[in-house]
Amino acid sequence: MKQTNLFGKDVYQDEEGEKKYTSKIEAPIYEPKNKKPHILELCNKSKTHQLIREIGSSKLSYEEKTFLVDAARRHNVFNYEKIADYYAHSNPEMQHLMERSALVIIDFGKAIEYGYVRLCDEISKQYLEEYAE
Amino acid sequence: MQNKDFCVFILTHGRPDNVITYKTLKKCGYTGRIYFVVDNEDKTTDRYIRNFGKENVKVFDKKAFADKIDEGNNFDDRRTTTHARNASFEIARDLGITYFIQLDDDYVKFDYRINGAGEYPKDKFMTRTKLDQIFDSLLNFYKSINAESIAISQGGDWIGGFADSWKFKRKCMNSFICSTGREFQFAGGLNEDVNTYTILGNRGKLFITIPFVSLTQAQTQSQAGGMSNIYKLSGTYIKSFYTVMMHPSGAKVSMMNTTNSRLHHSIKWINTTPMIIAEKYKKENTCE
Repeated sequence: MKQTNLFGKDVYQDEEGEKKYTSKIEAPIYEPKNKKPHILELCNKSKTHQLIREIGSSKLSYEEKTFLVDAARRHNVFNYEKIADYYAHSNPEMQHLMERSALVIIDFGKAIEYGYVRLCDEISKQYLEEYAE
Repeated sequence: MQNKDFCVFILTHGRPDNVITYKTLKKCGYTGRIYFVVDNEDKTTDRYIRNFGKENVKVFDKKAFADKIDEGNNFDDRRTTTHARNASFEIARDLGITYFIQLDDDYVKFDYRINGAGEYPKDKFMTRTKLDQIFDSLLNFYKSINAESIAISQGGDWIGGFADSWKFKRKCMNSFICSTGREFQFAGGLNEDVNTYTILGNRGKLFITIPFVSLTQAQTQSQAGGMSNIYKLSGTYIKSFYTVMMHPSGAKVSMMNTTNSRLHHSIKWINTTPMIIAEKYKKENTCE
């Protein structure tokens, strides 16, 4: 008998009526959306701009202002889901430079995806061996 | 252990007679090499050597490692595991070992979080004899991917039971599996694990917590020695702010409502770690 619990997980009851929690084993590989977001959606700079305005209206030296402006950019909030969406719809040159800046991680040859499933199988088998002994 | 290029580093301080992790490793069937990473400011170093042998106790210069990194404070207080974590890479190189796992000294058990049917185990959790095989599997996975580090989950990750999925988390805490070929630097006088996976994770470095197994620590602030004194001094209030300081665009502090409510870091993942995507989305550049 199959039900769904509070977390959206499938809960099965076996013949003895015990609940079992199961889930598909998969690595969290992000699936980019079909729509390319606008470039301005990738990074929220509102806090940075607010800080830069305050720095600009101060009486500090040019060097100090420059440093503070650099530091203010630490408050840029990048949205990595939208960045991955953008990457998927970009031309090769843009993709190359996004990779150079580590804005996405490419799972080459599905090494992460397959390796993770294999790891799961191995640990699962070790459990079985341990508790069958 | 099938992997001979691997060892365990137990990072320890002031607990030469109570290295719980050592006993737990032996009990759970780990047969590989174990070294004790002790700093030169530890007054109990001689006792570590007496208990575990000079060849197994690796003493590092704590101040020298502190001077190499951004501690995120000017307290001149080196009560932190940060420097032991950073020293581990150098110690491994000196030993001629490529891969190692950093463990704290207070682990009471290792548990399975997946059973033989691929389900969350209902009652039987504990690893009893298979820790060699578990470490081999973890290390083989680590070798096969381009991650800076992977770690196993902690008891705290499972409060509330199996509520999420088998997807791994993009963090690493406590049990870092590392390689001298993928050296990275831990940052910050406190909360160095979180600081590190947020700062470096934000730059596209991969850190992964494996959910299929977990470790359980003796309760923080109840064990003498180690980091207990500094946690007792400030709770987790100061600790949590290190990460906000180092990764302000994706970290904040919030109230952790457990039995003893306390402030804790909270990471907004969508703003912290670049997504992992399939290779099929990469377009070939046809222009020469």
